[in-house]
Amino acid sequence: MIDDSAPDMIRIRDLTVRVARTGRVVLDGVTLDAPKHRITGIIGPSGAGKSTLLRCINRLVDLDRTLAVSGTVEIDGVDVRDSKCDSDDLRQRVGIVFQRPVTFHGSIRRNVLFAAKRLGIVKRSEEDALLEQCLRSAYVWDEVKDRLSHSAATLSVGQQQRLAIARTLAVNPEVILMDEPTSALDARSTAAVERTILSLRATKTLLVVTHQLQQARRVADWIACLCSQDGSGKLVESGRCDTVFLTPRHQETRRFIGLVS
Amino acid sequence: MRRRWLDRAVTAGSALAAVVAAGIFATVLGLILGRGVPVITWRFLTTATAEAGGAGGVVYQIAGTLILIAAATAVAVPLAAGAGIWMHMYAGDRARRIFEQVLHATNGVPSIVFGLLGFAFFFHYLDWKKSWLAGGVLLAFMILPTVVVGFVERLRTIPRDSIHAAFGLGLRRGDVVKSVLIPQGVSGLVTGTLLGIARAAGETAPIMFTAAVFDGATTPRGISDSPVVALPYHIFVLAQDSLGPDAGAKLWGTAAVLVLMVMFLSAAAIPLRLRIPESGPHD
Repeated sequence: MIDDSAPDMIRIRDLTVRVARTGRVVLDGVTLDAPKHRITGIIGPSGAGKSTLLRCINRLVDLDRTLAVSGTVEIDGVDVRDSKCDSDDLRQRVGIVFQRPVTFHGSIRRNVLFAAKRLGIVKRSEEDALLEQCLRSAYVWDEVKDRLSHSAATLSVGQQQRLAIARTLAVNPEVILMDEPTSALDARSTAAVERTILSLRATKTLLVVTHQLQQARRVADWIACLCSQDGSGKLVESGRCDTVFLTPRHQETRRFIGLVS
Repeated sequence: MRRRWLDRAVTAGSALAAVVAAGIFATVLGLILGRGVPVITWRFLTTATAEAGGAGGVVYQIAGTLILIAAATAVAVPLAAGAGIWMHMYAGDRARRIFEQVLHATNGVPSIVFGLLGFAFFFHYLDWKKSWLAGGVLLAFMILPTVVVGFVERLRTIPRDSIHAAFGLGLRRGDVVKSVLIPQGVSGLVTGTLLGIARAAGETAPIMFTAAVFDGATTPRGISDSPVVALPYHIFVLAQDSLGPDAGAKLWGTAAVLVLMVMFLSAAAIPLRLRIPESGPHD
């Protein structure tokens, strides 16, 4: 049973993203709360701005100079869009896993540890323990423990995605954003990633964008449904997972759930 | 039917263009090597020029050309690496567009104009007279656009998610440059440098005003007033002015040495390129 009293970790208010040159609105006035140590599933059709919403939370959107962002995004009460907030520190606190697994050159060990080492998070004597802990948390340890020095590129796509999760865990973020983390994976790897997501809920706040409604029902505590209206992404409904799926209030949500399932 | 005919015509046309291009290259290469290689002997490669190019070898021309190439590479590569990273990671759209235009404009400046600019700046303003360093720096500026473009084109092929994944871990811009951009882009830097070297090795106009003399130079002993002899300028003078009976043969021999030197340098870089990772960060 989900505890409804969990405090909000992320508070998004009137978040709007525009294409600076054309003025086209990508995301229109999104207001959303994500409770601490809960999994918030973000669903909606393609082009509704789900990925853009995620990238606003850790300010990866700042890297795209064509977009202009307004509104506030608070994490633990601090507005991360404030100019005093260091975006690099923020991204260490708010990790992200992409749709397609990204592996860096080098061994499995290097892939997991290189950012933690560069950021000075791990001591040399603790590297092995951190490596094992992260790979175990991502449910990939048993598959790679005997070939940690092998290139990460030799792993299957599913293993690479779990390696990407392990790499994110190595810098110990408080929040993890996942942008369709299983869309490129087979059923077995999807199940492993879902197991990872569920196990992380105890210590992390997660926002998971997914196109798979069944997956959203399996893992999410809360659901936010974004839909595209007049070409702009809008949050049409959010609430407890069961409530949104069983008794959706908004027509767009009903249509989306009905069309896809 | 018409589409099939058109398809065959396009295929044949492109094949013909490729054959013509390869044919021109093979003809030029065959002519130079066919006439020049028989002249190349150990003595030709290891002795100094004598009798106004009609006798002796080209040992100091080889050394001078290598010195100019090394100086040009030493100056151009760090500049190109910095410029490429700035263009890709730091520059705003407008600044990047302006810089690209400047690069293209620089690439289009005739080499003789470069030579005159170098003559005015290095020879007269800095009072270096003829200097290997002046020639090297001038060649570096000439090949800079080629090296930068080679590097930037490679950087552009790096998937956006690779860069965002590194940023997403909290790495600072400098870390992302060091751990993602440079390891993945360095093959483009090497390719651009090789193309640049091939061009620099054959340039005559810039060095004839600033760095090269036909005869009387061995290895430089300083910066100011320290010219070198170089293969392209040697070829230029032999082709124009040398009337000795053996000058023609020496001319082709020198040209073959220059071509083989460029080919050797390109081949030597292949293992380096193969060792360079195509993706990802290092510790």
